[in-house]
Amino acid sequence: MKKYLSIFKISFAQEFAYRVNFIMWRVRNVLQILLVFFLWSTVFTNPQTELFGYNREKILTYVFGIFILRAIVLSSRAVDIAGEIARGDLTNYLLKPLNYIKYWFTRDISSKALNLSFATIEITILYFFLRPTFFIQTNPLQILLFLTSVLFAIVMFFGLLVLVNFITFWLPEGGWASQFLVIVIFTEFLSGAVFPIDILPEAIQNVLYALPFPYLMFFPLQVYLGKLSMAVMLQGLFISGLWMIVLIIAMNRMWAGGVKKYSAVGR
Amino acid sequence: MLYSGKMDKAIIVDHLIKNFEVTEKKQGIMGAFSSLFSPKKKTVKALREISFSIKPGELVGFIGPNGAGKTTTLKVLSGLLYPTSGFTQVLGFDPWERNPKFLKDISLVMGQKNQLWWDLPAIETFELNRAIYEIPQKIYKESLNELVDMLDVKKILNTQVRRLSLGQRMRLELVAALLHKPKMLFLDEPTIGLDVVAQAKMRDFIYDYNKRCGATILLTSHNMDDVINLAKRVIVIDKGKILFDGDLRELVSRYAKDKIIKVYLSKEYDVKQLEKIGKVKKIDFPQAVLVVPRATAAAAAAELLHHFPVADLTIEEEPVDEIIRKVFSGEVKVSKKK
Repeated sequence: MKKYLSIFKISFAQEFAYRVNFIMWRVRNVLQILLVFFLWSTVFTNPQTELFGYNREKILTYVFGIFILRAIVLSSRAVDIAGEIARGDLTNYLLKPLNYIKYWFTRDISSKALNLSFATIEITILYFFLRPTFFIQTNPLQILLFLTSVLFAIVMFFGLLVLVNFITFWLPEGGWASQFLVIVIFTEFLSGAVFPIDILPEAIQNVLYALPFPYLMFFPLQVYLGKLSMAVMLQGLFISGLWMIVLIIAMNRMWAGGVKKYSAVGR
Repeated sequence: MLYSGKMDKAIIVDHLIKNFEVTEKKQGIMGAFSSLFSPKKKTVKALREISFSIKPGELVGFIGPNGAGKTTTLKVLSGLLYPTSGFTQVLGFDPWERNPKFLKDISLVMGQKNQLWWDLPAIETFELNRAIYEIPQKIYKESLNELVDMLDVKKILNTQVRRLSLGQRMRLELVAALLHKPKMLFLDEPTIGLDVVAQAKMRDFIYDYNKRCGATILLTSHNMDDVINLAKRVIVIDKGKILFDGDLRELVSRYAKDKIIKVYLSKEYDVKQLEKIGKVKKIDFPQAVLVVPRATAAAAAAELLHHFPVADLTIEEEPVDEIIRKVFSGEVKVSKKK
């Protein structure tokens, strides 16, 4: 366990080595939230407007909630795995008494901790700046379920990302294309990061709920907002829990196969 | 001192074969297109049934030209590559299982691979390795101080790695690789890219480390100086086969068919006359270098002294790298070892 604590620390230190990079990344996040905020703010100019079950207060809470969830769920370092495999840097890890998957999960957690602390500061500033009306969840059970769903989301996103990165074992040049597909297309659009999923036609929604993507952002936030019945919440946790297990198994299988395939580059 | 009495071999390799499947890429756009649909697979035989064993505490040099299979062997022995067939055992373990106990006892240093975190000072990587290898704090401090002294890197411990020169970085890489005091050390081209002074320092260190810690070391190098200065025993490998395995001096005496006569002439002399004595390798008045068969070296020297205006004359062995070059180029036929 101490091993992974040290990894957490050094990973944290390394993020700070690229200060400018990190700041730009945060700026991008703030701009993103402003964009989405003003978009919805315009749609709901009249406080009486209610669309797709959202009023002004709830949609703005949704936007801010997504902002926080992004920092927790979608900020990740595991995107670097593909490069390490393709360049042959994986060799360094294979030589050490270290679990590579746990190593990257630790680095992810460290990245999330850093991003979350910055997001919290930014959101406080934005709050005083924009003065939105917020919906605060007070039901402890609801909050507990929300935290559980976030935990599942973290593990699922990590699993998806690692699986995509492991493709590099078989297709050394394939890492970027598949990463783009999964991260940008699937997670951005199907997770609720850009718009709430329940504004989509019901048929599409039904398909989506069988996939892991809505459980990354949309579902946890719905739990927080108290928009779901107990039965639906439990069903959602069940499906995402199942996906989590499937992804963990797939990850370990792919790793075992991948390492065998891996032949360190060089002569 | 590091070994339990039972183990009398640190490494056992028996009929090891390693083949690589390589997809051939054709040239140009059309080529790339056609290999996308009908990839041509080719099997590269990197190791063709090699066998050898190494005793604990030995320092063995592994030499051969590019693509001979040296690095492949080291990678198989450190558990990075899965052997196609054959038996390998290192410190009593099957390397491929990558048992944590095994990994804690070995280290592989590759001149062209770095494990140091590029953006951070090296000391951070060392701390991380302490945690990964679960080195107790006290032993870590001792080990670190010792290595830092031996390699003279105290001043650069807290400098960001990317600001360091290659030589400085290599020394720090070595510290990172040795903190956990491996019993088995694989060194792949440890002096690549270093200047002469840095090379000598590195060699002194390797020699010292072997003596001091009793670690078994298997070293590959293109640099003959590394091998000549460090290893008593050498394994010569080419095209995936072992050509020679034994004492370096034996290699020399077996394959050194010629001797070198260096002669200093007191006045200029006809080169043609010298050629009657032996093959003139170099002439740079007043010095001339002749290559003569071993058996007739004494007679040739006598003749030179007799008929030429000689100021000084020495008879030398052929340089080791020259002999090895001849072994590889097939100029001397290699009979199967021992």
